[in-house]
Order: sequence, then structure tokens, then C-alpha cells
Amino acid sequence: MIIRRTLVITLATLALSSTVALSQAPSGKVTVVTSFAKDVTDPIKKAFEKATPGVTLDVQNRNTNAGVKFLEETRANNQVDLFWASAPDAFEVLKGKKLLQAYKVKAVGIPEKVGAYPINDRDGFYFGFAASGYGIMWNERYARANRLPDPREWQDLTKPVFHDHVSIAAPSRSGTTHLTIEAILQGEGWEKGWRVVKEMAGNFRQITERSFGVPEAVNSGQVGVGIVIDFFAFSAQASGFPVKFVYPSVTTIVPANIGIVASAPNRAGAEAFVEFLLSPTGQEVLLEPSIRRLPVNPAVYAKAPADYPNPFTDARLGSLLPFDAELSETRTAVVDTLFDQLISFQLDALKAATKSIQDVEAALAKKDNAAARKLIADARDLIAAMPIDAAGAAAAETRGAFTGAKEKGARQAEFEQQWASFARERYAQAKQKADEAAKLAR
Amino acid sequence: MPRPASTPGQIALAAFIAIFLLAFLVVPVATVIHVAFTEKGTGSFTLINFADFLRTELFIRSFWNSVYVASMAVVLASAFALPLAALTTRFVFPGAALIQTLGFLPLIMPPFVGAVAMQLLFGRNGSINLLLDDGLGFKIPFMEGLNGVIFVQAVHYFPFILINLSAALRNIDRAMEEAAQNLGSSGFRLFRRIVFPLAMPGYLAGASLVFVKVFDDLATPLLLNVKDMLAPQAYLRVTSIGIADPMGYVISVVLIVVSVGAMWLSALAMKDRDYATVQRGGGGLARRKLRPGESALAYGVVLLILFLVLAPHVGLLLLSFATIWSFAPLPDAYTTAHYARVLGESSIYIKNTLIYAALAGTIDVVFGVAIAYLVLRTRLVGRHVLDWAAMAALAIPGLVLGIGYLRSYYAVQLPDGTPLATFWIMIVVALAIRRLPYALRACYAALQQISIALEEAAENLGATRSRTLRRIVMPLMTGGIVAGFVTSFSTAAVELSATLMLVQSNADAPLAYGLYVFMQSAAGRGPGAALGVIAVALVAICTLASHVLIERSQRSKGAAS
Amino acid sequence: MTPAGITIRGVNLSYGTNHVLKDVSLDISPGEFFAFLGPSGCGKTTLLRLIAGFNQADSGEIRIGGKDISALPPWQRDVGMVFQSYALWPHMTVRRNVAFGLEERRLPRAEIDRRVAAALDLVGLAALAERRPSQLSGGQQQRVAVARTVAIEPKLLLLDEPLSNLDAKLRVQVRRELRELQQRLRLTTIFVTHDQEEANTICDRIAVLNAGIVQQVGTPIDLYERPANLFVASFLGTANILDGRVGGEGAARVFEIAGGVRLPIPADRQIAPGAKLMFRPQDASLIAGGPDRITLDGEVAHREFLGASVRYGIRIGTAEIALETPFHAGDALREIGRPVTVSLSARTSQFLSP
Repeated sequence: MIIRRTLVITLATLALSSTVALSQAPSGKVTVVTSFAKDVTDPIKKAFEKATPGVTLDVQNRNTNAGVKFLEETRANNQVDLFWASAPDAFEVLKGKKLLQAYKVKAVGIPEKVGAYPINDRDGFYFGFAASGYGIMWNERYARANRLPDPREWQDLTKPVFHDHVSIAAPSRSGTTHLTIEAILQGEGWEKGWRVVKEMAGNFRQITERSFGVPEAVNSGQVGVGIVIDFFAFSAQASGFPVKFVYPSVTTIVPANIGIVASAPNRAGAEAFVEFLLSPTGQEVLLEPSIRRLPVNPAVYAKAPADYPNPFTDARLGSLLPFDAELSETRTAVVDTLFDQLISFQLDALKAATKSIQDVEAALAKKDNAAARKLIADARDLIAAMPIDAAGAAAAETRGAFTGAKEKGARQAEFEQQWASFARERYAQAKQKADEAAKLAR
Repeated sequence: MPRPASTPGQIALAAFIAIFLLAFLVVPVATVIHVAFTEKGTGSFTLINFADFLRTELFIRSFWNSVYVASMAVVLASAFALPLAALTTRFVFPGAALIQTLGFLPLIMPPFVGAVAMQLLFGRNGSINLLLDDGLGFKIPFMEGLNGVIFVQAVHYFPFILINLSAALRNIDRAMEEAAQNLGSSGFRLFRRIVFPLAMPGYLAGASLVFVKVFDDLATPLLLNVKDMLAPQAYLRVTSIGIADPMGYVISVVLIVVSVGAMWLSALAMKDRDYATVQRGGGGLARRKLRPGESALAYGVVLLILFLVLAPHVGLLLLSFATIWSFAPLPDAYTTAHYARVLGESSIYIKNTLIYAALAGTIDVVFGVAIAYLVLRTRLVGRHVLDWAAMAALAIPGLVLGIGYLRSYYAVQLPDGTPLATFWIMIVVALAIRRLPYALRACYAALQQISIALEEAAENLGATRSRTLRRIVMPLMTGGIVAGFVTSFSTAAVELSATLMLVQSNADAPLAYGLYVFMQSAAGRGPGAALGVIAVALVAICTLASHVLIERSQRSKGAAS
Repeated sequence: MTPAGITIRGVNLSYGTNHVLKDVSLDISPGEFFAFLGPSGCGKTTLLRLIAGFNQADSGEIRIGGKDISALPPWQRDVGMVFQSYALWPHMTVRRNVAFGLEERRLPRAEIDRRVAAALDLVGLAALAERRPSQLSGGQQQRVAVARTVAIEPKLLLLDEPLSNLDAKLRVQVRRELRELQQRLRLTTIFVTHDQEEANTICDRIAVLNAGIVQQVGTPIDLYERPANLFVASFLGTANILDGRVGGEGAARVFEIAGGVRLPIPADRQIAPGAKLMFRPQDASLIAGGPDRITLDGEVAHREFLGASVRYGIRIGTAEIALETPFHAGDALREIGRPVTVSLSARTSQFLSP
């Protein structure tokens, strides 16, 4: 009885809603898969539809990785016009799988680089439409309660006072974080770069698997300090959260991109949207407080408020460092996996070793001891040791293990296991040495 | 006692179910995880990836962590469920019905925002720890590491044990207990030696479900940033882009094997304990009145447990009204603006959610009754395979299923050119497949309780097998059917992982998706929470409605048992 | 274990507006095999459960061995009860079932083993000690239930319709065994049943209940020969009942039945107003004659040949009476439809109120 009634009702609703579903697909619909939040897509959608009457923008929200997977799986009958996300690595993947189509942009006024980073793909498959800087964000209440100083530079995060208070997104899950790590590696060199990264990592409380996880934790006060993209901090401040933000003097500028999907159903509409984004009107929308991105058209900054960061004129914003995008591309998978295997999945061991070292150094500051100092230096070296050098990281065989290449070589799992054991042993040894040094320093 | 020869009707039914499971479970999953068995580069069959799995310290560590967490979650969930079940079924306890309904709510926890709410209450700098630290100078690591996962999972899934255990306790023949009292037993000894062993099948059913769900759950560990467990490892690897990593799929295979193995073990343990209604009538256990001292203790325990398991919903509610809530025991100030923002847009989400969840629930009970009937009442060869295949769906991450559907069905087109895989009915099927195990277990338990003599009497009077099924068996199974429907419905209403892959446009999106979109930005936390509250309220109302309906139908059938 | 006597005084019990037991008072002697007999719903099981402690009386008291047990919970009363459904625990073997009560009393292991073995021997199930209840027949399950209760050597034994789930042949055998057991153990036993044959054959005394009121207490012969009212008369054995009026006075009193027949009433007989005539089938005769006998004319409606006797149903006016005569080889049987005369005597009849 109940079953029957339920069945009748559900069948009726089914019939009703299928008519609604089938009445979709009006002309002039542009479908975009994006990882951007509603706060960003809504104002842009509104402005676009106003500027281009007769066209509607249908926004499908997915995180970057799911979006890429979706395009891969649906290529046989692609229904999506545009892919719109932050990290260039996703676009590189799509480009490599021939899921994007090239387009010659008509918009003018966009320079070749912002900071040290090229704005557009050199082959014209995807285009930067906005830029953002990476920096450090912290929760004032947390900082006050835990007596943390305001951080200024990346190096500050390696200090003992920040132990267990810092958060970052995993580079393998966040293309923009990946670029920040890559920038450190390129700026400091492979060996020194990894040393710095690991010293910071020794202070990490958590490594999140999505970019937004970091600002979310800082907003709630679950974590004190986060390494984030600037707009996360600005939008949090605009919402009233008690957070502060600073650009370190060595900042990466990371672009946000848009690309047209191969065999797009509404190619004309897709191109119109790209043009809109790169037009002065579109670029101005980026200045809105809920979006707070850095336009790639330098002229637009005239309309911005006085203290708005300007990567084209502001020396702070990473314009000093050269960035080799090609190099970055060749070793993307390796860098991601190294970070995961040496840091993310060994975090507890790394933190324990780092804490021991920091405690000993604090004791040595009061009362020095040469032997202990030597042990500590060794311990730090052990932590900083890398299982593979820069050349190896960029080598074709290494890369091949991760990309399903046809050659039979080492497998990804083998590398991972090698690197993981390498790190585990060294961290354990480092802790041992630090503990020995601790006895001497007493 | 199964019947003699199988009728063509039964064979046809079994074939239909087999095709459904093949098409919407086995094949899509196979298209995804076959990578686990292929060699990189050549594509030939190999087991070397599994050898790598066993050689990788991270995976072995993750495996044992998952086993540890799942087992401890069962223990903690039992600690929550046992007192509530015992108190509401063995004593005259006012509010028993309310407790049973509230005890169901933790199952309905919207993704993402539930974890945020938990962190705000129980996190290292959550409300409780901030107050503890200020007042007493220490903190309790509720949400740290593996223990945090155990805590959240136990809170989330304990209703499985509560519901199954309560049902089993209610079905025990009163004479069993009275005989023991007559021979001198009482109180806890009586419970331990007689009552609980007789309720064991119900307990095992719930406990095995909790074990498998926790073992396979990837959302909670990820949101608590615990990555060294099997399910999150699988997720991270399957969703990584730019590298062709078979290990994610290898881990998925391991998840499936372990889950099916766990269910098989528990079925084995329950095999000889078929304590179903051999007794006549029964009337359930006698209810004792509580003395004032006992009453106070009981209320204290109940309130503590309810506080712990409903805390996420309390946190969610606070968050939905909060302006700013950061590093403080309570929000800074309150506002209704989030609801205002959300109510406008959410009617389509609500409509979609209701349709999807209701359809999924209906599909699930139909298949649940059919499979239970085939397994318990026929002698069909291979009927147990249907049971295990349906149960294996528990172990499949929604993501894998979603990708599998895209891979298998995207090329298939509907008349108007839209691909089949993104037609909204595929979302319904994905929801139904992943929830079929709950409905199946509920229908199975209900059918086990029905004496076959009742069906034989009907057939003796001229009813065919199918008419008997319709007129006698299904009405008697109403309790189990409704329980299965309600569980399917309420968990489908907040599902996200498969939905995320299959949703094509906002017009097709359910509440969980709308919630996900809001939760991607700082300003969206409040509206996301508001949407979450709406989802929970919606499901709670539907659940309550179905409970009322079943009460009424039981009463109209006359004084049942 | 010395058997205990039971004293029940003024017990009342109501479920809501349903007054189930009305002012029940009984005395049961130690070592007695006592029956609560009555139709369903008469309150016999409720009374039994009251003694066991599963129900609470609204008023009155119950004493076992002189001690008031009304305030004691079931597990402290030390009365052994065999349930109608046997209530054997399916997750325990026969041995564990029987050992249960002893384990609850924290007896030493050796003592428990000894008593379990003795109990199982008593009911003849020693060989099945390791079986589970589901592997036993109904009769065997019942014996396990009995063994379980006697193992604890209770003060009294309560049997709730123990034979109702057994087939007819088994019933006869088992009731004899129960009687033998009770005699051997000298246990005060209360036996609840709705079957008067069971009550008659094995019990020392019977309490007949109807609608919550004790109708009469006595030995089987007492109840049969001197029933207190029509209910008891019809419940124990077949009773022929005829309406009538008392006429005349003193020594010349007669009981006038419909049709003008007058039965002389013995001078010493007390007859309550509204009483009816009751006589047993074997006290009516097809042979007329004798002083104080009357004859009634009737017609043979039924005839049942029972081997040792023949039972006739004879229609007299609008009523039908049962008449039973012994049968000897060569006796002629009356034909159905033939007229007969039935003779009764007041001496072998009674005048009873309902």
C-alpha cells in the first residue's frame, strides 16, 4: 500500500521532471567547467551576460583534478566549451592529451609576462586572464593566544616558534602551491631549495589535499599560519575573519587560466567569453572585493584603489626572479612525488626530528658545545639530503615512470618506495643525532 | 527452509538483477580498476602492481591503520549505541521514540560542512578545547590523527548499530528473559548471558556495516588531513592528474576484497545463530520501570551520548547563523542573512534531492526485497553471488563509480544527443547502487524473521508465489522495507562523491552539490552551513514521516506481535 | 529440600479496567501436586505468573513456606517455572541451559556438574547433553526445561500448560512422568491447564477458576461428585442440565421439569432459588423402575459406540441429554430415531446454580 503509493508518486514526479529536463539546451549557452568559487564566477557571469546579450553562461563547479578527469572521460561526446582554473599544470595535462584547442586572441593590451611568469601558453592553447601572488596568512587571535610573531618572509616559517603552527596545500594537489615550491627550487637551486622547503615542513601542522583547505583552517583558527594565494586571504578579510596577510619579498606570481576545450559545442560562445575576460571590461571585474585578483592588463590598474598590488610596477611581486617554465614542466611529477614521499607521508617523522634539532639549538644558544653543534649540523644535513639530484629529476627515464610511457623502465611504485625509505632512514638517523647532541648540550 | 525447484519466474528475476548489477556496478568498476592488473606501457596482464603494493611501506602502514581505525570505530560506536538501545528497549523510558529518531540523525551529515562544524566544536582550537584550556589548562585531542578519525566515524556511523541492535532486542521472546530471571539471573549478568547473545545477529549486522563503511570512507580522513589510510590513499592517487598511477586502482581492489571478506566473515559468524521467530508471539522484552537513582543515571548517560553524537548538527546550526566564528568557543555574532541568501536558490536543489533520493530509495528496496527473497526462499544456483555483488558496492568509492559510468556510458547517446552518462537518471542509479547494501541488509533481516509457514498457508489456499509475495510477505516485511528505504533515502540525500563526477549542470544538481560549491570560499561557509541544515531538516522530516506511517500501518494490522 | 506450602490471600489484579483476578485465596499444602484449571482467560496463568513474580498484584498477599514474597523480584523467589514455550536458550547447549540456574547461584563447578548430571539423568536426557535445543524434538525440549528447573532444587515447581505443545500419545506418557518426578522429589507443584483430564489424572487437588474467581477447590473426586456450581459440574466431566421449578413443600417437594414431569426431592436436600437439575450421563438409565425415580420420554438423536460403553444423545422436549450405559457383548443397541424412556433419581442428581 505504502509501496504502491510511493511508486505512483515517484513515477509522477519522474514524468513531470523529465519534461523539465528535456526542455534544456537553448541556443547561446556556453558551458564552462571551473574550479573557481561562486564568489568569483557569479560577478563575471553577470557582467558577461550583460555585455553579450543572448548568451548564457552555465557554470559547472568541480575541483581541478575532477574537472580534468571529467574532460578526459567525456571526450567522445564533449559537451563542455571552456576549462577555467588556476593552475597551469592542469592545462598542460589537458594540452598534452589534446583536449584543448588553439585560439588566436584578438584582445590587446596584455603583455607577455607578469612578473617572471609567461601569461599565455606559447602555443596558444590556454591564456592567463588574472594573476595572484602567494604569501603568508595568519589568524590574529590564534597568534595572540600562542604568542607568535607576525611572519614576514618564507625563512621566518623555519623558526622554532612556528613549530606545529603552519599549514600548506600539497603541491601534488594544488598547482599554484606547486609553482611556489618550484619557484623556491629555481631561486635557491635544487639542493638548497629542498633544504629550505624541508625546514619549513618541519614546522607544518598539516598538509591539506585541496588549496582551500589551508585558508579554511586559518579562518577557523584551527591552524595559525597558512601558505596561501593572496585572494584567499583578501576574501577572508572581506568576510570579516580576523586574519592578516603579507607578501614575502620573494613572491611567486601565479596566473589563472582559461582554455577552450577541443570540439566545443559552442565555439563562438566560448571565444566570446575568452575575449570578454581579456577585455578591459572583463579585466575590471577582477577588481571587485569578492574576487580580488590581479588583472593581466596593466592599464586596468588605473581604475584600482590606491594600495592595490600591481605586479607590473611593484618590485616586491616576484619580478626579480627568472622562472623557467619549461624546466618546471619537465619535472612536475617528480617534484610532486618527492614532496609527497619525503614530506607529506613522513610528516610525523620529519616533525619529530626537526623538533629535537630545534630544542637542542635553543639549548646551545644558552650554552655552546662544539661537538653538539657538529652533530646538529649533521642532523640537518641528513634531513636535507635528497635521493635524486636535479639532473636525475629532469631525466627522461624518471619522468617516464610517472607518465605511463611505453618504455619499460622503473615503475612509479619503485621510485616512491625508494624515496620513502630514503627519507625515513635519514629522518630517524637525524633524530638520533639530535638526541645525542641533546645529552651533550645539557 | 528453502523450497524445491526454481520457477522460471525466479530465474528471470535473478537474471534481471544480475544484468542490473553487471551493467551498473561490475562493468563500470571493471573499466576503472582493470588498470590495477595491467602492466604500464604494454597493457598486458600482470600482478606486479600488487607486489609493489605489498612492498610499499606507506601502503602497508595505511592498511593496518585502516584496520585499526575501522575496528576501534566499531568499539566506540558500540559504546554509544548499546546504552541507548538497552535503555529504550528494556526499560520504561519516556522519550524512547525521540531518542531512536535523534539517534538516526548522525547518519545524515552533509559532506564538508559537517567536518568543519566538528572541527569548530572538537578541534584542537575548537569550542570545547578552548574552554578546557582556559579553565583547566589542558586539551583533549578529540580530532587528532587516527583517534580523530575514529571519533568522527563512530559518531557518524553508530546509528547502524543502534538501529539493528534495537530491532534485535525488540524481537527477543520475553519468555527467554523470564526463564533466566526465574532461575536467579538479573541485571547485567542477565543482559550479558542471555539477552545480548540472543541479539547478536542484529548487533553483528550493524557492526559489520560500520566496519566496512569506516574502512572504505575517504572523506573523513581527508578532511582531518589523515592520509595514511587506504581509502584516502586510493582517492589521492585516482584523482591525481598528469601521472598514470595504477596504485590507486590497486588499492581500490584491496578495499573491495577486504570489504567483501568482512561481510562474508560476519555472515559466517551469524550462520548458526538463526534465532529468528521460532518463538510464538514473544511480545518483546518486558520493560522495567527505573528507580529514581537509576533514572538519573540513565538520563545522564543518554544526554551525554546524544550531546556527543548530535554535536556536529549543533555546530552546523550555529555555523549557519554565525557571522564570524574563529578561534572562539562560540560565534562572534549571529545573523539570518545566510538563510536569506540560500533560500532563494535552493528550491531547485531541494526538488532534485527529493527526487533523486526517493527514486534511489525505491530502487533499493525493490532490489533489496528481490535479492533477499531469492537468497532466503529459493534454491537458485548462484543466488549468493547476487548478494555479495550487491554488498560489494559498499567498498566502491563514489568517485570510482562515477568515472566508471562516464567511461562506460558517455558514448551512449539519448535521442536528443545528450550523453546517457550525464542524464540525471544516472545520478539516481549511482546513488541507488551505492546504497543497495543498506536496503538489502534491512530487507534480509526482515524476511528472516518471517516464518515460512505463513507463506505456505497462503499457497495452500490458492495464492501463487508472486501473489503470496505481494499480499503476505511484503506487508509483513514493511518494517524492514521502510527501514531500508529510510536509510537509503537519507544517505543518498547528502551524497557527493559520485554526484560530483556525474552532475552536468546546475539544473540537475542536488543539495550536496550546492553545498560543495558554497564551501569553496570563505564567504560561503555560512550559506553552505544553512544549506546543510536544510538538507538535514528535510531528511529528518521524511524519516519521521515514514516512521509515523509505519507505526500507523502496524497498528492497523492489529496488535502486532 | 523440604517442600513448602503456599498461602494466597485476597489477591486482586487488574489490567486497566480488566479485573483479571478477583479476591483469590488458596492454600496449597507442602508436597502437593496442585492444578489451576479453567478455560482460557480465566486468570490461571496470571495467577501462576504472580507467584513467579512476573506480575504484581494490586492487593492481597502470597506466602511461600510462611514467608511473604510479594516484594521479592523473580530472581530471588527460588521458584522454578517451566514455560509453555519451554524458553530454552538457543545459543546454549542442553548442558549449559540446565547449568544456568546453578551458575547464577555461584555454586562450585564440581557441584554444578554433579547436579546437572543428576537432573539430566532424572529426565533421561544424559546422552543429549551437548546438543542444541534446535536439534531436539518437542518432548525432549520440554524435558530439558524441566531438568533446568529441578536442578536448582526450588521451593516449588510451576508448570505453565506443559503438555499443550505435545501430541496426544506423548501427553499421556509425559504427564505420568511428571507425576512420578514430583513424587520422587516431593516438590510442591502447581500445574496450570485447561484440560480437565490432565488435572484429574495426576493432581492431588484442583482449583477451578472462571473469570478470575476461584469456583471451587478440592480433590478430583470432590469436584466431580460434589461440584459447587454448574460451571464446575460442566467443566469436570459431562453434565446434563435441565431447567425447572421447585414446587410443593416439606417432604412433598418436587422439581417440576418442562412437560409436567415431577422429580421428588429428598427432604434433606437444600435447593437454592434458580437452581437447575444436573445429573451425569451414567446416572441416567434406560431401565425404568425404582422408588424416587422418574421417567422421561424422549427420542434417540445420536449414538456413539465407545467399546466399553455406549453413549446416547436423547432428545427430551427441547433439551438433549447424554446418557451412557456400559456395554457387554451381545447387548442390543437402541436405534436412532426410536422413542426411549429415561429414568432419573434425585439421589444421584444435584441441584446447582450457575
